[in-house]
Amino acid sequence: MYGLDAINAYNGWAISVVGVTIVFTGLVTLSMAISQLHKLLDLWENRKELSLFKKKSPATDQPLVAFTPGQKESSRQFKLLAETLNDHFSLPRLLKLAQISGIDHPHATLATLLEADIIVSDTQGYHVLDMARFNTLVS
Amino acid sequence: MEHLFVDFFQNTGFFLCDYRNIVMILVGMTFIYLGIAKDYEPLLLVPIGFGMLMGNIPVFHGLGLGIYEDNSVLHYLYFGVTQGLYPPLIFLGIGAMTDFSTLLARPVLMLLGAAAQAGIFITFLGALALGFAPNEAASIGIIGGADGPTAIFLTAKLAPKLIGPIAVAAYSYMALVPVIQPPIMRLLTSRKERLIRMEEPREVTKREKMLFPIVAFLLCCFLAPAALPLLGMLCFGNLLKEAVVTERLAVAARTSIIDSVTILLGVTVGASTQGDVFLTSQSVGIFFLGALSFCIATACGLLFAKFMNLFLKSKINPLLGAAGVSAVPDSARVVQVVGQQEDPTNFLLMHAMAPNISGVIGSAVAAGVLWSFMS
Repeated sequence: MYGLDAINAYNGWAISVVGVTIVFTGLVTLSMAISQLHKLLDLWENRKELSLFKKKSPATDQPLVAFTPGQKESSRQFKLLAETLNDHFSLPRLLKLAQISGIDHPHATLATLLEADIIVSDTQGYHVLDMARFNTLVS
Repeated sequence: MEHLFVDFFQNTGFFLCDYRNIVMILVGMTFIYLGIAKDYEPLLLVPIGFGMLMGNIPVFHGLGLGIYEDNSVLHYLYFGVTQGLYPPLIFLGIGAMTDFSTLLARPVLMLLGAAAQAGIFITFLGALALGFAPNEAASIGIIGGADGPTAIFLTAKLAPKLIGPIAVAAYSYMALVPVIQPPIMRLLTSRKERLIRMEEPREVTKREKMLFPIVAFLLCCFLAPAALPLLGMLCFGNLLKEAVVTERLAVAARTSIIDSVTILLGVTVGASTQGDVFLTSQSVGIFFLGALSFCIATACGLLFAKFMNLFLKSKINPLLGAAGVSAVPDSARVVQVVGQQEDPTNFLLMHAMAPNISGVIGSAVAAGVLWSFMS
């Protein structure tokens, strides 16, 4: 048997198409795999940083700043002082009032309140007190 | 006493000689000449050529001298060919001497190695159309992979009677890569395309190189398990090389083992080309189809590279497609030579090694696929 008859009889077309497809699939898969290999290795080599990141991420729901009892007391006094001012108050003025009132470690306490996002900037040059956050972290 | 002389004379090669033995001896001498004088694949052509001389000394059948006689020494050595032992050992050595860096740096070039394997399947169809049985057609088609050990391995499994002509055709065309490929490369590419410069490949880490043989082996062999003997040994050899701690084994694989096996393979394949067995119309058909297969594989690689350029931002030099036929590293060298004929400062060799090596993997997978279809 010769010619197209032979090819048809021995299923030549199907064998060729499937064969080429398998070879292509194999090499395409391999090329995709090895193109990602260096990225996977980078991830593996930086796995410590990744694990630190993973440990940090759940902590976003928890207080980033831990208040000592003394800091909590000072923070409550800062809150009272802030309430005597406008809603949007000047930070230097609040600090000056705190110093006049004799609050312990006014600079450190103010820094902690800023760090804990209890006192936040209104982006206009003044600051506001986030009561919800104050209640969560200090009260 | 006269009777003894007559008996002796009747057992000599001069008396038993056939014109086919003379033809094959001349072919063998041509191989030796090409290997030594022209430096065409000397490590293959010289053993095969001398094997042809050994196989075509006319001998009295029954003395246990011929390669096809059960109790002959040559027959025992030929066992490694007929049972497919030698090709995996050669792949072990190839793996132990191959650096996959360029492939890892630009994996997209692997597709060129895949495209060139289309020649195998197109030739398979051609061989069927010319009246060859499917198993023979598959063995002939694999010549297009331009990978001698793969061709021998598949033929040993599917059509052992054709090992001689197929092995000789495969190695002849591999040796003739510098002659066969350049005209096709020039025909299918424009000067502008041949001038394309390749981007510098990124640096590849040692860990990547170590992981590659494991990943490649698992992926390819899960997909085409019949490629296991060849790809397994290729990847194992490469792991020995890249692992560093197994340097002794890698050195053995890429020197003493591959050299010993190449000698045995070359001589026995050459010896298997006995004139009365080799010089048939079938062999002529195999040589014709083998050449066709090689040309189609080269063209497929080149055309696919041009096709890829339609989509790639950073264009690739389409000459690299010709290296997809494996024939490591000759076809990569040819790419370098043809590229430098247009621009002597354009260095393509390093880039051409990527499709060249993927061609080895691709032809092994293709052989595995054909074996699984035919068995």
